[in-house]
Amino acid sequence: MNPFHTLKEEARLTLANLTDTASDLAVPSLRLGVTGLARSGKTVFLTALVHNLVHGGRLPVFDAAASGRLARATLQPQPDDAVPRFDYESHVAALVNDRIWPQSTRQVSELRLTLEFESASYLARTFGRGKLHLDLIDYPGEWLLDLPLLSKSYAEFSAEALRLARATSRAKIAGEWLAMIAEVDPNAPETETDALKLSDAFKRYLAACREDTHALSMLPPGRFLMPGDLEGSPALTFAPLDIPADAAQARSGTLRAMMERRFEAYKTHVIRPFFRDHFARLDRQIVLVDVLHALNAGPHAISDLEAALGEVLKAFRPGRRSWLASILARRIDRILFAATKADHLHREDHDRLEAILERLVARGIEHARFKGAEVDVIAMAAVRATREAMVKQGRQELPAIVGTPLPGETAGGERYDGNTEIALFPGDLPEDPESVFQASESSSQLKPESISEARDKELQYLRFRPPKLDTTAEGLTLSLPHIRLDRALEFLFGDRLA
Amino acid sequence: MTEKHTPPRDDIRKPAAFRLDDSKVRLTDDVELQPDAEEALIAVLEEDIERPKLPAATETRKRGIGFGKWIGIGLGGLVSLAFGLAVDALIRDLFARTDWLGWFGIGLAALAALGLLGLLLREFLGLLRIGKIDHLRDALEKAAEEDDAKAARHHLKELIGLYQDRPETARGRKLLGSHMREVIDGRDLVMLAERDLIAPLDQEARQIVMNSAKRVSLVTAVSPRALVDLLMVLFENMRVIRKLSALYGGRPGTLGFLRLTKHVVTHLALTGGMAAGDSLASEVLGHGLAARLSARLGEGVINGLLTARIGIAAIAVCRPAPFIASSGPKTTEFMGELIKITDKNNKDG
Repeated sequence: MNPFHTLKEEARLTLANLTDTASDLAVPSLRLGVTGLARSGKTVFLTALVHNLVHGGRLPVFDAAASGRLARATLQPQPDDAVPRFDYESHVAALVNDRIWPQSTRQVSELRLTLEFESASYLARTFGRGKLHLDLIDYPGEWLLDLPLLSKSYAEFSAEALRLARATSRAKIAGEWLAMIAEVDPNAPETETDALKLSDAFKRYLAACREDTHALSMLPPGRFLMPGDLEGSPALTFAPLDIPADAAQARSGTLRAMMERRFEAYKTHVIRPFFRDHFARLDRQIVLVDVLHALNAGPHAISDLEAALGEVLKAFRPGRRSWLASILARRIDRILFAATKADHLHREDHDRLEAILERLVARGIEHARFKGAEVDVIAMAAVRATREAMVKQGRQELPAIVGTPLPGETAGGERYDGNTEIALFPGDLPEDPESVFQASESSSQLKPESISEARDKELQYLRFRPPKLDTTAEGLTLSLPHIRLDRALEFLFGDRLA
Repeated sequence: MTEKHTPPRDDIRKPAAFRLDDSKVRLTDDVELQPDAEEALIAVLEEDIERPKLPAATETRKRGIGFGKWIGIGLGGLVSLAFGLAVDALIRDLFARTDWLGWFGIGLAALAALGLLGLLLREFLGLLRIGKIDHLRDALEKAAEEDDAKAARHHLKELIGLYQDRPETARGRKLLGSHMREVIDGRDLVMLAERDLIAPLDQEARQIVMNSAKRVSLVTAVSPRALVDLLMVLFENMRVIRKLSALYGGRPGTLGFLRLTKHVVTHLALTGGMAAGDSLASEVLGHGLAARLSARLGEGVINGLLTARIGIAAIAVCRPAPFIASSGPKTTEFMGELIKITDKNNKDG
């Protein structure tokens, strides 16, 4: 980004913040960013959050709700007219009635939840509004990976993409695309068909990387996987090219010049508006990470996840909240890192899961703390799909979890139909979080398949169906069960309801 | 490092899936569930997990053998022997006089012995209970500090057991029980226990201290003689300690009470310096204000505050849980009320 652009962006942001501050004088609002890579459980988290608050779920650690000060939580028409509404109702219906996980996020959506509460402090009770608008913003995790592209040129982006594709862990998946690039001359005259062909191959390669067996995360540009409303437009029809590091400026009319132009267009028309309208105006942030999915796929997925998270966290603007500064620029003053799907583990392993996550996002934590933001790390399950059990096997007692696997999941050579309940012992997480990463370094010479097979024997996580909700004698459905969702809420906005 | 993540072969537990109708599977959602006879206890498995330990609390000092104790034991033994001899001689004398008188004497002696035994037993149990409360407080504090869910769960069960026969805590116990069935971190669990189970007791404790402080300041303000105040203060403070201990589940006997009093005094000495910082200024100020109205009145407020402060120390000593979610009561909270009541009294008188 050149300085002028930066200045312009900052000015626009400041203006937007000023308007926000003015409207906050009436009823304060809090913009909670829910971030996470694809399939980390953002939609489920938001659905569970709203459901528990609206229906008064069991939230013992969330002080405002537990002490009865939270009078009411209602859904409101959302403030941004140009952004689609988060489809809360159908997500809840999917979870509760059909017992399936809601559709993954395809585009940005927003929801406003208004909390009416009674403050515990005398001053706030007398002079405060007793109301807080909670703006929840949901968007595909893939888009996050675009943020680092803002500071890169097309040549840098190409070099990076090629370096990644040629790494041992990906070379095989990227084979087709790499072969195609080798044939293309960047300085040939531009043709739309070539661009389309290259771009399609690139997209196929990215999509293959994301499959369960590889579970890789570091796959920019994000819109290639989750195009949203811009599908087919030139801004989404480009691909990295093999450009020598010392190459001169691209001549106009060449394929390379066309690609460069489109990359810039992607930055202006896709990334920057997203960053400006959604990402840079947050007060609180929760970063959801599906550590188990990566663990399942092996050490390569883990180091890839670490790299991707590192890139994403650079885009945050953490900082201490101060009255004057918050008028001009919003800073994220609390960041929560949550390892989702903790219900796939017995509670004994939760501490270890937290330790692994803490190690994964260590750089981000350090950065945020340095800037003065509060940071916490928890293992969480926004919707708890399992119960716990002990299984006796031989001399050992295994801490197991009980749930209904999704149809098609396999374990121990058995395929489940989605109706049988089973007890699963998923294996122990390593006590030392470092070992998850060390394995990746020491075994990088081996073929990726053999590693993931070796891993498979130590750890295996199945995906479970959402829980069956109990009903009370009066026929009321109870709220969605969860693990530590209340603690997350307390950390994220408990202080604003104090 | 390398030893840590390459455990011995038979230690690696491989993933496995089981059908639910398998007899080996036992649901553990309910913490109260007792394991079946043929099943291994869960706790046995978990003992060997190494946890980072904090250095032992520095205040638990080692008890050496005190010579004073030797003297006490020796003299006490001699006195009881002498007493035994005297009783023995008395009963012999009674037998020498008439048989039935002798038997009557034996009966009386047996009654006294039984009474003594009962008394000792009660004292002993009282001491045990107080010791248990002390231990519980330390353990919960440690569990909260280390965020150790397992330890917290274990000790909270003990806490629930402590209040088992107190119907007024039924709601709190039930709430806490349902919290413990969920996956909640250690520190949060202790805080929940404080909020749901202990908070109502705290409220009552505050009331007890407040009432007692009010009484003391009133009596001091109207009493004709200094000696009366002194006795009143002494009596009220003893009563507060005993009441608070009973409220929090201590039920102390005489020995237990003495021990509690000792703890309270130690606690006062330890926290006195700190408390002086936060409330001395206001106390002096308040005193100055009240004293300007009347010297006796000021004295009343001061005595009341003294009682309040002793009560606060007693709360800290008798409470089976540490103050984590809330901070304990402060002298300043009692201040306003005390001045109000003595002031009103002054106007009436």
